[in-house]
Amino acid sequence: MATRTVCRVLPRRFASAAAVVRPLTAEVRSQRNAVFSREQARQRALYPRIEKIEVSMQGPGLDGTLLIMNRGMSTPLSCARHLTEHHVTNSALALVDGEPWPLHQPLTRSCSLTLLTFKSSDPTLVNQAYWRSCATLLGQVLETAFKDNFTVDLLSVPEVPVTSGAFCCDVVLDPQLDSWTPSEETLRSLTRAALQLIHKDLAWEPLEVTPSVALEVFSHSRCKQEEVEEKAAQNPKGTVTLYRCGDHVLLSAGPLVARTGLCSQYEVMAIHNLGQGPWGLHRRVQGLSLPLQLKGHHTVWRKLRQRAEKLVEVQRLEEATPPTPPPESTPPPESTPPDSTPPPTSQ
Amino acid sequence: MRLTLQMLISHGRVARKMGLGPQSRINMLRNILTGLVRHERIETTRVRADEVRFYAEKLIDYAKKGDIDEKAMKMANFWLTEKDLVPKLFKVLAPRFEPHSNSYTRMVRIPNRHNLDRAKMAVLEYKGNPFPPLYPVKKDCELSLINQLLKGYREEREQQLAAKLQSQLK
Repeated sequence: MATRTVCRVLPRRFASAAAVVRPLTAEVRSQRNAVFSREQARQRALYPRIEKIEVSMQGPGLDGTLLIMNRGMSTPLSCARHLTEHHVTNSALALVDGEPWPLHQPLTRSCSLTLLTFKSSDPTLVNQAYWRSCATLLGQVLETAFKDNFTVDLLSVPEVPVTSGAFCCDVVLDPQLDSWTPSEETLRSLTRAALQLIHKDLAWEPLEVTPSVALEVFSHSRCKQEEVEEKAAQNPKGTVTLYRCGDHVLLSAGPLVARTGLCSQYEVMAIHNLGQGPWGLHRRVQGLSLPLQLKGHHTVWRKLRQRAEKLVEVQRLEEATPPTPPPESTPPPESTPPDSTPPPTSQ
Repeated sequence: MRLTLQMLISHGRVARKMGLGPQSRINMLRNILTGLVRHERIETTRVRADEVRFYAEKLIDYAKKGDIDEKAMKMANFWLTEKDLVPKLFKVLAPRFEPHSNSYTRMVRIPNRHNLDRAKMAVLEYKGNPFPPLYPVKKDCELSLINQLLKGYREEREQQLAAKLQSQLK
């Protein structure tokens, strides 16, 4: 009897002790969501009166179209809703006066608007945004994939060009999982979780916030806070852009596409060890995806999959960024050669 | 049905029988050809389009000789029943086809005529006209996502093959 009570009490003790150090994932998520919603409501309240702006559309068959929209309320998507269903379903990103603009972000001034799809004449921007979005989706899957007693820290999403063959998402798992090697079945279950999110067709809602709000959102994660500070320092306006997809709030380096439903084929291909970093054992999760507009034949898909399993190096991009380096967070992936899986002791 | 000119001649039929007789056929073709020169794209029955195509190309060949050439002027005068088109032929169409040596026209089959006699129909046009293209223009989509992925794949393959060759040479 006594042992039973001890058994019953002890885990609870430890659990509560652990909770003091780190709250449950669900709590963290709800807190982030609450802060995000509060800030979103505040920003919407900045435009109490309805003011009209003129949006001139550009694109094939749209030249000369002028839409009268609401300032701070209408998004590029609502402009697309005035056009055709094709524009609503296929637009992935918008160009406002030549700058990439997320489809769900409200317009704040009279401007010229171009809706970009994956089949536009120059889809480079959309491709980048899509690759980034797929990587963040992967991060969202990873964050919810593990049980509550394993912590998952998402590092900044490395910007890889599309030609590298796979998008990747750097992650630090719980120290208990350092010796864990993922199996085929693991990858498959991650893929299934991602496909469920895609099936839900969630929107990526952008929100431009000051660093103080972003720090409040990520108050539980030290590495995210550093990322926020770094991004705010890089941005000339001193703001960072948060995105919310479902109940997952994330920080992004650039615009994301409109919604998860734009992905059609999606597969998590590999998990590589990158060696020890400042936050623990860094792992790089890689995946491959194609949008609904550009489905691949199965032979092509197989070839691309084989390539996506190989480790993607991001050295070139990191060499380009060092002028404003956070001393600890970026270097580790490149400082340790990725093939040396055993953790180097020198660090 | 004409497969080739040789085939047609070898079977003793130099031209299709159209209209009420040889003279009527020539007049019909003249009218159609005049319409073609005026509008640059016309819709007619498939047989007539195919028949007039030969004369349309031949007329351009004559027009290329220039408007001081006697034979060329005679031909233009005969085949164009509306005389205001003669300058157009020499000043617009001949310079347009100067770089080309043949195949100045394009013929495309279209669905059968359904209101009158279900005749087989075709569109005949001079190339380089200002109208929208008959066939959808194929877009160059080298930058699309899947093509970029495949480009990366190809480049990697080439590197691998080059490395393999080098290792074999050593």
